[in-house]
Amino acid sequence: MTENAPGSVDLGRGLTLPNPVGLASGTAGYGFELEQLIDINRLGALYTKGTTMDARAGNPPPRVAETGGGMLNSIGLQNPGVDSVATTYAPRWTGWSIPIIVNIAGGSVDEYVHCVSVLEPVSEVAGIELNISCPNIAQGLDFGRDPAEAARLVAAVRAVTQRCVIVKLSPNVTDIAAVARAVEDAGADAVSAVNTYIGRKIHRATGRSVLPLGTGGLSGPAIQPLALAAVAAVCAAVHIPVIGVGGIIDAASARDFLIVGACAVQVGTATFVNPETALQVLDGLRVDDY
Amino acid sequence: MTADLSRAALETGEVLVVERLGGGLLELVARLPHLAANAMPGTFAQLRCGTSTTPLLRRPFSVAWTHDDTCGFVFEAVGAGTRLLAALQPGDPLDTLGPLGNGFSVVDSGSVVCVSGGLGCAPFPLLINALRRRGVEDILVLNGARTATRLYPAERFARPAVPVVAEATDDGTRGHHGPVTELLQQALSSRPTAIYACGPNAMLGAVMGTLLESGADLPPTLEASLEAPMGCGFGTCLGCALPVLGEDRVTVWKLCCTDGPVMPMRDVDWDGLRALPGADVA
Repeated sequence: MTENAPGSVDLGRGLTLPNPVGLASGTAGYGFELEQLIDINRLGALYTKGTTMDARAGNPPPRVAETGGGMLNSIGLQNPGVDSVATTYAPRWTGWSIPIIVNIAGGSVDEYVHCVSVLEPVSEVAGIELNISCPNIAQGLDFGRDPAEAARLVAAVRAVTQRCVIVKLSPNVTDIAAVARAVEDAGADAVSAVNTYIGRKIHRATGRSVLPLGTGGLSGPAIQPLALAAVAAVCAAVHIPVIGVGGIIDAASARDFLIVGACAVQVGTATFVNPETALQVLDGLRVDDY
Repeated sequence: MTADLSRAALETGEVLVVERLGGGLLELVARLPHLAANAMPGTFAQLRCGTSTTPLLRRPFSVAWTHDDTCGFVFEAVGAGTRLLAALQPGDPLDTLGPLGNGFSVVDSGSVVCVSGGLGCAPFPLLINALRRRGVEDILVLNGARTATRLYPAERFARPAVPVVAEATDDGTRGHHGPVTELLQQALSSRPTAIYACGPNAMLGAVMGTLLESGADLPPTLEASLEAPMGCGFGTCLGCALPVLGEDRVTVWKLCCTDGPVMPMRDVDWDGLRALPGADVA
């Protein structure tokens, strides 16, 4: 670490990230693969794969499709279910210094509340990120689209956890600032923005959509300017910490988010291309960047 | 079994040559000491194609062979990524991540048949070399392609001693006129104890169909290297799902990258695989 290395980030309610650079949900699993490839404990946070009440098998393939400067995914929240995460995965995080923030998704308020309650006594979990915006399942997106629904969800979760609750916002809305304000008022400690943009790719030979469900979530450097605009709007709307995510590939593209007011960032799709990207971002940022 | 990633590493090597083999087949040779020292038969490397953000994702390639500190990859320029690889010049850097995935179980005795379809030749030179180092000499390669110019040259399956290679072409321009599975039917009379297959998923399904229709006992070692559109190659994006028969023979999704790419053919849900839409591979 250099003298100007970025310092810790206080997200509230006792959750302090050792540095602002994290691994975005859905691009780092539960850390067990990347832990073999990189020095994961140097990073500021691991936001896990979206976790649901019951195990989910995920969508039929193809689940990914490359696009210009990005990729579409339609994974369908494949995950082992919150009970397995609490009982099987969490013990494997013992001894890790990187804060583990479990990303939670669901189709109803009750499902989110159940998941957060299951994780409440699990000491290896540092915080909760609510995924109110997965575009690849039938239910779940509505929470992210409607400020009142989002607030209702956050208030219910707030009632069952003492942990820091981060709400991951959907960019697929008319007014992301309104949703951000609503979840802040409902008790969210921080927000992360943005999740993937809804996109579609047509198979040129067949004229059909490449992804079986038609659309998927667009990520990668192609969305960075879009995400930056959304994050700037959110930062202007709320007083709680904002975590910027979307298309970061290097320190410069991460710094953009800090400049518009984010206090931390998440590296997502770029990890697929180079698993060391988040570490390179961390090493490239200096404390006077934010 | 989930692949061990502890040997995988980022490595920027140096391109030595991109050789045109004919029929569109290309062999890329690069100095990659880490990969050469750690690749096991059937494992793969993720190659970065160019330095731009388009194409963004790496492309997976079997490590075809290793020699000292060099590795070979066999491919075809069919999309944006592979066209960039085809244009590489000697001395250019090659950004790699590997080795990744589960390789073949290398037997140490018995009679071995390798069934290759098109670019499915790729993992076999490294496999055959490993088999020979374990003392296996009874190795038959069944090599199929659309047409003669697209057959991977027999002498490249192993050096210096070339194994027995029987060839088949769809158009009859060389070897047996018909699918490679017809050669496999004949080869089953010698009761191989290990069969390894690599090629398009549809061809692999035909291999399994041929084995089941023959009525013969399936060999103890029966493995295929499969393919799927892949995001990361190391098990975090969950993009490369394949239908596999789990407990109670119920189909579950397994990842091509870390549960495969080599899988026991008994475990693959071949009907489920056949029902999948074609991949959009670049």
